[in-house]
Amino acid sequence: MTGLLARRILLVVPLLAVILLFTFLLVRISGSDPVGLLAGPTATTEEIALVRASLALDQPIWVQFGVYFGKVLQGDLGNSWLSNRPVLAEILDRAPATIELLFWGVLIGAGLGIPAGLRAALRPDGGFDQVTRFLSLLGFSVPTYWLGLIMLFVFFYLLGWAPPGMGRIDLFLTPPDRITGSYLIDGLLAADWEAAGSAFGQLVLPVLCVAIISAAPIIKQTRAIALEVLASDYIRYARAQGLPHRQIRAMALRNSMTPIVTFIGTEITGLVGTTSLIEYVFAWGGLGQYGLSAIIAGDFAVVQGYVLVLALFSVIVFLVVDVFVMLTEPRAGAAP
Amino acid sequence: MTLLRVEDLHTHFISRDLDNQIRVARALNGVSFALEPGRILGLVGETGAGKSLTATSIMGLLRPPARVVGGRALFEGRDLLAMPEAEVNALRGRDISLVVQSPKSSLDPLTRIGDQLIRIHRAHRKASEKAARERAVEMLASLGIPDPARRMAAWPHELSGGMAQRVLIALALMNAPRLLIADEPTTGLDVTVQAQILDLLRDLVRRTGIGAMIITHDLGVVAHYCDEMAVMYAGAIVESGPVRQVFANPSHPYTANLIGATPERLRLGGPRTVGGPPPNLFRLPEGCAYRDRCPQAGADCATPPPDVALGAGHVARCHRVAA
Repeated sequence: MTGLLARRILLVVPLLAVILLFTFLLVRISGSDPVGLLAGPTATTEEIALVRASLALDQPIWVQFGVYFGKVLQGDLGNSWLSNRPVLAEILDRAPATIELLFWGVLIGAGLGIPAGLRAALRPDGGFDQVTRFLSLLGFSVPTYWLGLIMLFVFFYLLGWAPPGMGRIDLFLTPPDRITGSYLIDGLLAADWEAAGSAFGQLVLPVLCVAIISAAPIIKQTRAIALEVLASDYIRYARAQGLPHRQIRAMALRNSMTPIVTFIGTEITGLVGTTSLIEYVFAWGGLGQYGLSAIIAGDFAVVQGYVLVLALFSVIVFLVVDVFVMLTEPRAGAAP
Repeated sequence: MTLLRVEDLHTHFISRDLDNQIRVARALNGVSFALEPGRILGLVGETGAGKSLTATSIMGLLRPPARVVGGRALFEGRDLLAMPEAEVNALRGRDISLVVQSPKSSLDPLTRIGDQLIRIHRAHRKASEKAARERAVEMLASLGIPDPARRMAAWPHELSGGMAQRVLIALALMNAPRLLIADEPTTGLDVTVQAQILDLLRDLVRRTGIGAMIITHDLGVVAHYCDEMAVMYAGAIVESGPVRQVFANPSHPYTANLIGATPERLRLGGPRTVGGPPPNLFRLPEGCAYRDRCPQAGADCATPPPDVALGAGHVARCHRVAA
C-alpha cells in the first residue's frame, strides 16, 4: 500500500519537469522580447546587450532552460517586467485570497450539489429532478462575470444587503496579521471581530458565485453517476436480498463517491480559470486577477509564474484525489 | 404444503411510443406451475421466453415499465403479489433467495465478502456480529471454499468467476431459505466449475429439503439436475412434468424441437428442425403463440390450446396432443 502511494507521489517529479519545460517554452513562443521593455526606451545598444546577457538571453536555448530550471528550483520565478517585484512573492501574497474563494465556493457548491444530485437520481424525472435540472442548466448557461455583476447590482445596489465589491475587507479597516492569509480566519484567530465580520461580508457574494458555477456541473454529474450505480447489478442484487432501503442507499452512496470526488477534482482545476473573472468583478486581488492582468499587459514573467503555479495546483489536486481513491477503492489496491 | 404455486401469472411491459400511444408487451401470459419442498424445478426456454421475468415477477423485483397485471404467486399459501412491499422485502433474502448470473458484478465492490455475508444475515435475523461471522465462515466452508476464514477478508474483485458464484450461493443460503431461485447460475463459468456448482445445489436440496428453481436454457442441466421441468415459450408454459416423462415423451412440438436441437441429438443424426424468431410480444398471434413456427399447425391452432394431462403430472398445452 505505502509502495503504491509512494510511487504515485514520486510521479509528481517528472510531471513537474515537463510542466517547467512547457512554461519555459510558453514565453519563448510568445515572440515578445522583454529586453526592450526592461532596458527602457532610452537605452543604448550596449545597455540592451548588457540586459540581454544578464538574463542569459544571449545563450543557446537549452542553456536558457537550464538557467530557468535551476532558478525555479531555488524558488526564483524571476521579476515582473512591469513592477520589477519578485513574481513568487507577488504570487504568495495573492494565493490565499484565491484559495479562500475556491475553498468556500467549492465546499458550498459540493455541499449543495452532491445531495441534490443524489436526491434527483432517486426519482428520475420526478419534481425534484426537474427543478434541479432546470437550475443546473441555468448555472451552466449564466456567464460568470454577468453573474457577479448581477449579484452586486441586486444585493449591493438595490437591496443594500452586501458591501460593495471592492476587495476582501472594508477599505477603512486594517487586515489582521497574516497567519493563514485568509482575512476571515486570521481575524477570528486574532479575535479581531470587526475585521473578521467585514471579511465575511466581503466573501459572501463572490463565494456564492463560485458555489453556483461549481454546483451546476456537480449536480448533473452526481445524478448521472448515482443513476448508473442504482442500475448496477450489485444494487439490484441487494434489492433481491431484501436489504433494508437505508442500507441500499448507503451502498449506492459509497459506490458513487469515488467517481464524484474524481469529478470534483477535475472541476476545481478548471474553476481556477473561471474564478479569475469573479475576482475581477469583485476586485478580489487574488491570483486569478493577477494572472489575467498580466496576460492583458503582456507581462510574461508573471504569466509564466502564474501558469506554473496553476499547473502545480492541478498536480496537487489530482494527487489528493488519487490518494483518496487509493484509500477508498479496493480495486485501486491500496485500501486499508 | 406446496412451497410455491404460481397461478396464471401475467406480466406486461406498459410504455408509450413516440406517438404517445400506449404499447403493451405481453411478456408473461398465464404462467402456472408448482414446486414442492425438496424438489428441483427446471425452467427452460429460449432467450426472451420470460424465464427470468417469471422469477423477478414472483419476487416483486420488477421495475417500471414492467408490471404484474394478473395472477397469484403463493409462497407457502401466502400470495406474494398481494403482500405489502415491506413484507415481501422481509421474505427476500431470508425465506426466498435468488442466485443470479454475473456473480462478480452482483457483489458490492466496496465491501469484503465476509462483511457482505454478515450484513445479509443481520439484516434478516437477530444475530451478534460474532455469531454471524461464525456462520459465514461455516457457510463458505460448506460450499467448498478453501481457507474460509481468510477468504472472509477477500474483496469481490479478487475472486474468480466460480468462486464468486459460490460466494453468491453462500449469500443466498446465509438465512437458510426455504426456496432458492437460481437464474442461469452457471452461465459464463467453465464446464468443470459448472458441474461443481450444480452438484453443490443438488446436494443442498437433497440434504436440507428446500425447494429450488433453476432457470436455464441448457437442457443438459435440466436432464441431469432437475426433478421437474417446465418449458416456456412466449411467456407461457407449454409443457411441464417430471423430467423423465418429458424427455421420454416430449409432447408439445416446441419441446420436441428444443430437445431435438441439442448438440447431442443433432450429432446422432436427428432431424434438423427449422427455427424462427420468437413471436412479437406486442402482437401475439391469437390462439397458440407457437403456431407460426409449428410444423404441425392447423386451423384450430388459432383458438387457445387446451392443457392436456398426460398422466403423472405431465401436461402439454397443445391441440395436437391426445391424452
